[in-house]
Parts: sequence; C-alpha cells; structure tokens
Amino acid sequence: MIRIDKAAWDVMVAHARAAYPRECCGAMLGVEADGGRHVMEARPMRNAFEGAQEDTYQLDPAEQLQVEKEARAKGMSVMGIFHSHPDCDAYFSKRDLENSCPWYSFVVLSVKNGEFDHANSFLPNFDQTEAPKETLEYQQ
Amino acid sequence: MAKILIPTPLRQFAGGNDAVEVSGATVGEILDQLTTTHPDLRKNLFNDEGKLRSFVNVYLNDEDIRYLSKTATAAKDSDTISIVPSIAGGR
Repeated sequence: MIRIDKAAWDVMVAHARAAYPRECCGAMLGVEADGGRHVMEARPMRNAFEGAQEDTYQLDPAEQLQVEKEARAKGMSVMGIFHSHPDCDAYFSKRDLENSCPWYSFVVLSVKNGEFDHANSFLPNFDQTEAPKETLEYQQ
Repeated sequence: MAKILIPTPLRQFAGGNDAVEVSGATVGEILDQLTTTHPDLRKNLFNDEGKLRSFVNVYLNDEDIRYLSKTATAAKDSDTISIVPSIAGGR
C-alpha cells in the first residue's frame, strides 16, 4: 500500500498538468510505515528523453542522485517514481515494465484533455515481467 | 574504506544499514566485497553472468562510472559510492 499526503499529491498532479501533452516524471519521498509506504513530498523531475515526450519519459540519473541526497538529508527516502500518461489510462505499459526497477512503487497519472483523470500504482517484479497493482491512497 | 550508500529498498539485504564501509582498490572490488558480506544484495545488483543489472547505475561521488572506467574505476577511502536505478517508460 502507498499513501500519498495531499501536499505531495498536489505537486504530482500540477506537474502532470503542466507537462501535458508531454509525459512528466518525478520522485516520491517519504518513509516506510505500517508495512507500506507513506509519501510526504513529491519532487518534479526533468523528462530527460531526447525525442517525442508525448509517449516517453526518462529520468536523469544525475538528478536522481541529487534527489536521493535531498531525501537522506531530510530523514526520508525515495519511495517511488511517478509519471503521467497524457490522454490515455493509467496502466503500466510494456515499456514502463521493461524500463522499471523492482525497488520502487510506480504511480501513473492519467491526464485527459489537460486535466487529471485517475491514477494507479504498480510494483514491478524483479524480472520486469509483471507489475501488479498496489493499493493507492491519496487526498485530492 | 569507501562508503557505499544503500537505497532504502535494499537496506533489508544489507543488515538494515543505510551505508556500508567497504575496502577495495576499484569500484568493482568494493561491490564484490559488499555482496560477499551481504550476499542477498548480489541478485539485486548483478545478473547471472556477474554483470551489473541493466537498471543499476553506480556513481563514484558525483560521476557515473560508465563514463569513467566502469567497474575498474579506482576508488579512494574518502570516496562515496551511490547506487541509482535507471528508470524510463512510456504509454
């Protein structure tokens, strides 16, 4: 289960709307709690993909390193990664799966006609062959 | 000894530590020593052929070792090694 505080959720939705019709991406910072993950801050990040960003995102590893350092300094950790799917549903695509990492929660935000529509969170497995949904709680 | 920062999801495989100090002349030696001391970390970082997994980036201080000498990159006691997953995707 992943629970996202309203302040963090607002940042994620604002980033997804601002990037529309391109895909956005970012990191979710928080702590492990009660057998799940509690996200207290979200950090918008640069989509580093050098091509059409309407259907692709890529994190900048150097920026990830900085975000990791920030999280540690605040007594938090990177709990997961978020990205948006402009004008389509919040599913975990084949490319999402093949370029994922089993260490994190992956939240996908569906943005339709520029507005947030719905979201889901996924937990990719070690071999990048499956990503079951996990319970996602957030406050709008 | 160089310090390796352990990402939160991997700490359960590293005795719960958020950082581990390990001896070694190169990044490869240090990672080998780390995964010898904490064998459950090995499958997270290396594939069956003993190569770093495709989604694992390793940084020596602020430099990606792919742009240095990869696992042959020399490391000093004052260095910090970070493990950063490579992540991308798209609809």
